[in-house]
Amino acid sequence: MLLKLSWKNVWRSKARSFVVIGSIILGVWALLIGTGFMNGFGVSYMADVINHDVSNIQVHNKEFKKDFDINYFVSNGTEKAAKVRTWPHVKATTTRIIINGMISSPKKGAAVQIRGIDIANEQKVTQLDSLLIEGSYFKGLKRHPIIIGSKLAKTLHVKLRSKVVLTFTNDEGLITAGAFRIVGIVKSSSVKINELYAFVKQKDLAKITSIGHQVHELAILLEPHVNEAATVAKYNQTYKGDMVETWKEIAPELALMQQMYNQMLYILMLIIMTALVFGIVNTMLMAVLERYRELGMLMAVGMGKANVYAMILIETIYLGLVGAPLGLLAGWLTLSYYSKVGVDLTEYSEGLESFGYSSILYPYLENNVYLIVTFSVVVTAIIGALYPAWKAVKLNPVEALHKI
Amino acid sequence: MSIIKAENITKTYNESTIPVHAINGINLQIEEGEFTAIVGPSGCGKTTFLNILGGLDKATKGSVEVAGVNIGEMPDSKLIDFRLKNIGFVFQAYNLIPVLTNKENIEFIMLLQKKDKKERETRAMELLEQMGIADKANLRPSELSGGQQQRVAVARALASKPAFILADEPTANLDSKSTATLLDIMAKMNQEEKATFVFSTHDQRVIDKAKRVITLEDGVVISDVTR
Ligand SMILES: Nc1ncnc2c1ncn2[C@@H]1O[C@H](COP(=O)(O)OP(=O)(O)OP(=O)(O)O)[C@@H](O)[C@H]1O
Ligand SMILES: [Mg+2]
Repeated sequence: MLLKLSWKNVWRSKARSFVVIGSIILGVWALLIGTGFMNGFGVSYMADVINHDVSNIQVHNKEFKKDFDINYFVSNGTEKAAKVRTWPHVKATTTRIIINGMISSPKKGAAVQIRGIDIANEQKVTQLDSLLIEGSYFKGLKRHPIIIGSKLAKTLHVKLRSKVVLTFTNDEGLITAGAFRIVGIVKSSSVKINELYAFVKQKDLAKITSIGHQVHELAILLEPHVNEAATVAKYNQTYKGDMVETWKEIAPELALMQQMYNQMLYILMLIIMTALVFGIVNTMLMAVLERYRELGMLMAVGMGKANVYAMILIETIYLGLVGAPLGLLAGWLTLSYYSKVGVDLTEYSEGLESFGYSSILYPYLENNVYLIVTFSVVVTAIIGALYPAWKAVKLNPVEALHKI
Repeated sequence: MSIIKAENITKTYNESTIPVHAINGINLQIEEGEFTAIVGPSGCGKTTFLNILGGLDKATKGSVEVAGVNIGEMPDSKLIDFRLKNIGFVFQAYNLIPVLTNKENIEFIMLLQKKDKKERETRAMELLEQMGIADKANLRPSELSGGQQQRVAVARALASKPAFILADEPTANLDSKSTATLLDIMAKMNQEEKATFVFSTHDQRVIDKAKRVITLEDGVVISDVTR
């Protein structure tokens, strides 16, 4: 009956209850949307970086990364790549020759990382072909084809079929140059792909440098949602002496970003919850003061403090229990809709892309977030009710009955 | 054995600032089955005295025994429970919970007293019948007249057959007809259920119905007449 009484008390002042329920709905909704969209930024960006650039795992010679010296190869890289490809949970592997150098057009020059790729396997690991906005994936041009990013093409003032020259120091320390013709232009959310990379066929680059079948990098793509640790361990056990890194080590900024997102979410959560607490304290306090005499009467006739306290808390929890599911529903509907159609940020995409984001945002939310949000809203509601309930328990029945 | 035994009660408000001596030494015993009115001019200390007898307020000096228990020394939380089990209250107004029906109002207190559902329902209906408002059981208090509401309040006070029922000016807000009806019902319950009533009033018609009239003035008993 206490439950029934509390429930009825909730509907005593409908307008007031609706205001609280409304703000709970809004709070839950805002939390879900905020989390969903921020996740969308983060997750899609991270997925982009992993699937189109760094892969899950990379292997290098221990010395290679110090100054990208052309002579530090992964020994038997191509054979290792072929072997690892057959391991469980490994989706694809590929090898690369990596040389830092210059690219120049008749008009301009720029620093590039020349990536001599195994075109068939590269396609499987980074889906480089899917990023093409112009031209083809090394088709139609026999001699020295090259693919560069859209931003780099702009900088160099070049288009499809334009000629560019790559210049770099070869394995003997001599400056070497090679002429290439642009066969494709790619665009991605990754700054590196857009501005820094120049993709050429591995065997073309091998010829110019005379480094033969040697490679500098081995990239391993795993099946989705597979932890890298097992594969890293297996690699280290099978082949000793190489440097094996996961994307978290290769791109620490991603991990940092994830942390930043979490912090932003906490702040957002804190703001919304604080607003909610104040709203609830205010409303419930009004509800208590309005019923001062009645509460005084109840305590006079023998309703214990625990019951009075519980009654006020239950009333508040009811408000939360009505509001939270509606907020969840609203949030879920909004998110499902936008996760299908996406939010087109093309209007602002200049700015976003320079940060490395793609221009269509797909909000994304893990299921447990719904639970966490509901739980924290109900807890917030309870916290907001503590003071009013305490106030109710503290009243003196004689004085309360006296007030007119 | 007396149900209420008040010994040398004094009550001073605002002891530290400007003291108001509301009760100045009252000795009183009330026996089982009494139908007693506390009367006197406004400000003579009726409410204060009833509050002390009912354990709502503490005396500055003196002791109050209810059913053999000294309630002056009871801690607050115990006192609430004691009131729940031993004393019925009827106030001048604001007696009922507006969101519950009349029947539920009576049941609610029995629920607090941990009576089981069946007992609650039969007793509530029995009382409503005795009050002559059984047909109003499922209405809200606001749908009743003031006099009918007070009858529900009396029913609630009687619900668990308390040691006695305290009523501070239960008829102050009622017209003369409702006042008469309520008093008749109270008198009937006093007869039928052997319920002990102690009520305050300054209405002469109410005083006329009382069996014992205790008159206060300036916080002391100036006359105590049993008829
Ligand atoms: N909370 C309080 N603080 C200070 N003085 C009080 C308080 N309550 C009552 N008094 C004083 O104590 C005296 C007795 O008051 P009480 O309310 O008991 O009188 P009463 O007989 O019930 O009067 P009425 O017939 O008007 O209800 C009065 O002088 C009153 O002003
Ligand atoms: Mg009074």
